[in-house]
Amino acid sequence: MRAQFVLSEIGIGLRRNLTMTIAVVVTTAISLALFGAGLLINRQVETMKDFWYDKVEVSVYLCGETSQRASCQAGPVTQAERESLLADLESTPEVEDVFYESQEEAYAHFKEQFEDTPDLVQNVPATALPESFRVKLRDPTQFEVVAAAFDGRPGIEEVEDQKALLQPFFAFLNKLQWMALIVAGVQVVAAALLISNTIRVAAYSRRRETGIMKLVGASSLYIQLPFLLEGVLAGLVGAVFASGTLVALKSIIIDGQLKPAFAFTAFVGWDDVLWVLPWLFITGILLAALSSFVTLRRHLRV
Amino acid sequence: MIRLERVTKSFPTSTRPALDGVDLAIDKGEFTFLVGSSGSGKSTFLRLILKEESPTHGTVHVAGKDLSKLSRWKVPALRRSIGCVFQDFRLLSNKTVFQNVAFALEVIGKPSHVVDQVVPEVLELVGLEGKAKRMPHELSGGEQQRVAIARAFVNRPMILIADEPTGNLDPNTSIGIMKLLDRINRTGTTVVMATHDAAIVNSMRRRVVELDDGKVIRDQQRGVYGYGG
Repeated sequence: MRAQFVLSEIGIGLRRNLTMTIAVVVTTAISLALFGAGLLINRQVETMKDFWYDKVEVSVYLCGETSQRASCQAGPVTQAERESLLADLESTPEVEDVFYESQEEAYAHFKEQFEDTPDLVQNVPATALPESFRVKLRDPTQFEVVAAAFDGRPGIEEVEDQKALLQPFFAFLNKLQWMALIVAGVQVVAAALLISNTIRVAAYSRRRETGIMKLVGASSLYIQLPFLLEGVLAGLVGAVFASGTLVALKSIIIDGQLKPAFAFTAFVGWDDVLWVLPWLFITGILLAALSSFVTLRRHLRV
Repeated sequence: MIRLERVTKSFPTSTRPALDGVDLAIDKGEFTFLVGSSGSGKSTFLRLILKEESPTHGTVHVAGKDLSKLSRWKVPALRRSIGCVFQDFRLLSNKTVFQNVAFALEVIGKPSHVVDQVVPEVLELVGLEGKAKRMPHELSGGEQQRVAIARAFVNRPMILIADEPTGNLDPNTSIGIMKLLDRINRTGTTVVMATHDAAIVNSMRRRVVELDDGKVIRDQQRGVYGYGG
């Protein structure tokens, strides 16, 4: 096998077909960039779960003066109920830690949180906020166990999982991820068809050469390799552009815009981007190689 | 060297077979003319030998191998033992004479020191010494056909197939090409030549196989083109 010969054939092929080659590169780049974006969103969801699940707690609100729930019909929680609940929470194996937050503390916390909207603070009386136990779980997904054990017990108004507040956001990210992956899938099909067509045009425009190669007994591999590598090279360039797009997305959109604007949460890091990039190259090369191979089997048989 | 046994080749687009029960044996070192009108089956015959087509019935043996039992990845090896020349020369117009001949060696993976040694030798054999750097369009038709013959012969094939090699050439040039093919035949190469050129067939007095409607209607040693011509 003479590398120089094969390389010069690839160069000739790509130049002859420049417009189609550009189309292949662009389509592959878009499809791979969307695929990469889908993977990054997936990493983003995981990153946010790690970040938030560490911080979220289960709030066990206790009955106050104004509570309406059936478990509160006996009136505000008593000291005895409070102590027995605390003891039971602490002895539950899923629970890591329990803090008590009194009405005064809750009100102070509330005032601090909404200091920008004094109207709201003025309209809420200090007794409107319930006292609560703030429960930290060993495993944040074990909420149901705690809820089942405590919800409805006398003295407890409500058991609330803060994690549930994040669910709509995660659901949104999930949808975004699937949208990116579906569009990427459609683009992958388009890229495969374009590559196939480009190879077919290339094979046709070089039928004289390949005809002579067949006659003098060149092996299929030798005849097809330049075409195959042409496709793979286009796929590879597409992957390079897609990688550039993702790096730009990370540094300009995420680090430049989102991070300063949403400082309270975590975003994907460069390690996540580095994890995604090899998949773009693998997918790009496989996509190009497979579609070229299938086309060549049909149009360049010995 | 080449043996066809009861070979029939039908194409799905035609009701009449292109070759119909052909039995023919060509020995090693023989020079055989294949004559017959257009559509008589000459080209199909040559394509069967190259395994560009497979027969519908019957067997084709080339160089001791049953082609129907030859797996597809061994076809290139078969074709390396057969050189081909055509009426339209089939040279690569963007390559020089040297590169055209070298192409046949490069695509079968011969190293460049072999190419550099063998190509000038074969160019000398066909009478093109000193024209290695010319482009095909700078050459006359006869010279172009000599390049094609050089390319077909550079691997020293056992069989040389020529499909109307003089079809585009004037009579004098044709004689030169025939002398060259004769010389190649004398090196022990089996030559099968399909032609319509009566003068050449008559002057060479070699074996003549005439095909008509896919059947062998004449097989003569030291034959002529035809009773009529």
